[in-house]
Amino acid sequence: MQVVKLSLKKANKIPIEADNANPDNFAGKTAEEIGAIPVWYGNGQCPLGDLFNVEVEGSGSVENTKIVFEGDVSRVKRIGQNMSAGEIEINGNVDMHCGFGMKGGKVVINGDADSWLGCEMAGGEIILNGNASYYVGSGYRGESCGMRGGKITVNGNTKDYLGEHMCGGEILVKGDAGLLPAISNNGGKIVIEGSATMPASEMKNGTVIIKGEVFDLLPSYKEEEGTEEVEGVTYRKFTGDVNVGGKGVLLIK
Amino acid sequence: MSEILIKNASVCDPAQGINCETMDICIRDGKIVDSVSENAKVIDAEGKLTMAGGFDGHTHSAGKINVGRFMNPNDAKKNLVPGLSGQVARTEKTRAQVGYNTPNTYAIGYRYAKLGYTTICEAAIPLLAARHTHEEFKEIPILDKMGLSLFGSNWQVMEYIRDKEPEKLAAYIAWGLKASRGYGVKIVNPGGGEAWGWGKNVSGLYDPVPNFDVTPAEILMGLAEANERLQLPHSVHVHCNNLGKPGNYATTIETMKLFEKVKPSRDRQSLHVTHVQFNAYAGTSWRDFETGAPMVADYVNGADHMTFDLGQVIFGPAMTMTADGPVEYANARMLHEKWSNQDIELEDASGVVPLFYSPKSFVNAVQWAIGLELALLVKDPWKVMFTTDSPNGGSFVNYPEAFTYLMSEKRRAEVISGFSKMALDRMVLPGIDRELDFYELAVMTRSTQSKMYSMPEKGNLKVGSDADIAIYDILPGHVDPSTEYAKVKKAFSGAAYTFKNGEIVVKDGEIEETPKGKTYWVNAKVPENIDTAMQKDIDRKFRKYYTVSKANYMVEDMYLQKPVEIGTEGVF
Repeated sequence: MQVVKLSLKKANKIPIEADNANPDNFAGKTAEEIGAIPVWYGNGQCPLGDLFNVEVEGSGSVENTKIVFEGDVSRVKRIGQNMSAGEIEINGNVDMHCGFGMKGGKVVINGDADSWLGCEMAGGEIILNGNASYYVGSGYRGESCGMRGGKITVNGNTKDYLGEHMCGGEILVKGDAGLLPAISNNGGKIVIEGSATMPASEMKNGTVIIKGEVFDLLPSYKEEEGTEEVEGVTYRKFTGDVNVGGKGVLLIK
Repeated sequence: MSEILIKNASVCDPAQGINCETMDICIRDGKIVDSVSENAKVIDAEGKLTMAGGFDGHTHSAGKINVGRFMNPNDAKKNLVPGLSGQVARTEKTRAQVGYNTPNTYAIGYRYAKLGYTTICEAAIPLLAARHTHEEFKEIPILDKMGLSLFGSNWQVMEYIRDKEPEKLAAYIAWGLKASRGYGVKIVNPGGGEAWGWGKNVSGLYDPVPNFDVTPAEILMGLAEANERLQLPHSVHVHCNNLGKPGNYATTIETMKLFEKVKPSRDRQSLHVTHVQFNAYAGTSWRDFETGAPMVADYVNGADHMTFDLGQVIFGPAMTMTADGPVEYANARMLHEKWSNQDIELEDASGVVPLFYSPKSFVNAVQWAIGLELALLVKDPWKVMFTTDSPNGGSFVNYPEAFTYLMSEKRRAEVISGFSKMALDRMVLPGIDRELDFYELAVMTRSTQSKMYSMPEKGNLKVGSDADIAIYDILPGHVDPSTEYAKVKKAFSGAAYTFKNGEIVVKDGEIEETPKGKTYWVNAKVPENIDTAMQKDIDRKFRKYYTVSKANYMVEDMYLQKPVEIGTEGVF
């Protein structure tokens, strides 16, 4: 087991793009080697060691590598981008694009996450013990397939456009979602335990379950006869969005 | 005075009939010369294939491509051809690069240069939007540029043809080229752009355009006559009616036949038909869709008045962009894709739709085969220009990959092995064993372009020509392209050297220098009295219909980088 502890030398205003900070790049490396990995700082590159204190315990393969960010990294973007295995723990708030395109492994965030959490992720798991901002599990701008696999659990609330263009995987939000969750999605499953506004517009495929209150249910959803029971809870069943000839399922109370 | 001596190059220059012979090339002040002094810088090109700089005669690299950029921002991070796509940070010599199908302007310049290309021709400039095209030209480094101006659905053009005023029509074409600083006449789905303004299309050469009482055939003939009257360096450049529709090969051949009677005013073709792959479909619907390439190739083999380019499909994501508005609407509806549509006021229409060519789709597989069938079934390579209609059939960064399809039957068989039986039944490619050699490839990527655009200083290595030269790290005779196609692809993906105007711009596949390229345009002379009469007509158009005034319409010289004006004398 290899544990890599990273903490900022001093709080940064200019964003750091730590897309190289993932277990795939850190596994089996010493503190010096990890410190030499280049990251983007503003419009230039610099070694990771210039910005972070790096501590390494043990050595291991990618699967057995854990990275721990201590303290607030709310101006560090793209942590865990494209990671395929291992674990990242962030004990503080994190900036945008955390877990972008990740394929495997696990990211645990003990704080809040900015927008684009788990954007286009294909596998693995993200657990957020705080609130998320916009576009959780969505696609990059222009992309027609957002999150494709894996699971995101948000133990707080999320803002608008949760799971936009999602086409696989699972998102669970324990709190409320903002406007237009599951917009334009084409597969996958979204469970919102709190409230949501105008859910699943332009949904082509997939399942959306909302346990809390639904505001402004779209008129382009057709209510099916009878009810559906999921894990002991009875829901009204809607299908749509008929505007796009969708076959998505929307279950609400 | 800068002098360079390229020693022991293995030269392939079809314009001079040189087929991979070892020789020296001398360069002085950006031109190829007979000899240089002893002070010349010596470049050792022993064992390396040396050709004139590549010339892409039909590419969408400035103008409409910008719509593609903002419709698909996700293209910025696509990196399907490492080294020639994706995001690349700026360096001391190069600016930041992004994209694959719709790269930023700088990336277009760098990547073409890396492939050994030095000249490009933007395939469609709407007169009204020409200023934008030139602004993008300005920011495409290294390459020499030119563009074709759209006339095929223009109100003034159709009125002059209807009213039988060929002299005024020629005067208008001359003015339009000047206004847009264009190089030639492009006709896209003649009449279709105007019909699209009414939600319609024209169905063939003899289907009248709504409200204008002219047919596509009359538009084609009228513009061809004007083109030859003005003695323009290029023939009309035609995107035929019915593009992308099963059964359209008949319209394509009909269009080609129509031009048999057109007499070219210069030593070149009287018709160039573009991206014929999209216009060589047989069958009556997508259900019984099959290749129409053998019929088209058969006709082309017996014709000597025309040239064409391929529009080869590359599997993967592409971005279609054309002035053919109705086609893009059909694409967007059929594929449930994003759709951009533009009305160019009195001039044309246009549309942009992203799509994905999959080898698993039998239609896409057959499309892929049709491009290659056309290239291989047409016997004379001088009639063929290699293109992917970038990025309609696929991005130009895939040219090296496509070259391997043309040069190796084994490579083709490898791709074909992934096709469904249904696809195989609809194509003739598996039965074709022709493999192009380096000489024929040079014809299709350089020499044909030089001839068809009447640009004797481009696409060849004659004394007096521009010193635009590509040197590839591969030696014909020592490498068998039919089996060692991986080596061919590697060599063409990053030139050992690319010279632009005698300057080394690429070395070992990396950018060395980024000089500014020239912009070519054609200024055709028209008698003053005819011009004045024509101006009165367009003044009325501007007053009544245009959203801009004539004074604000013309592209001024300040928008042109290193302009090269080509004068021609109209015959009236």
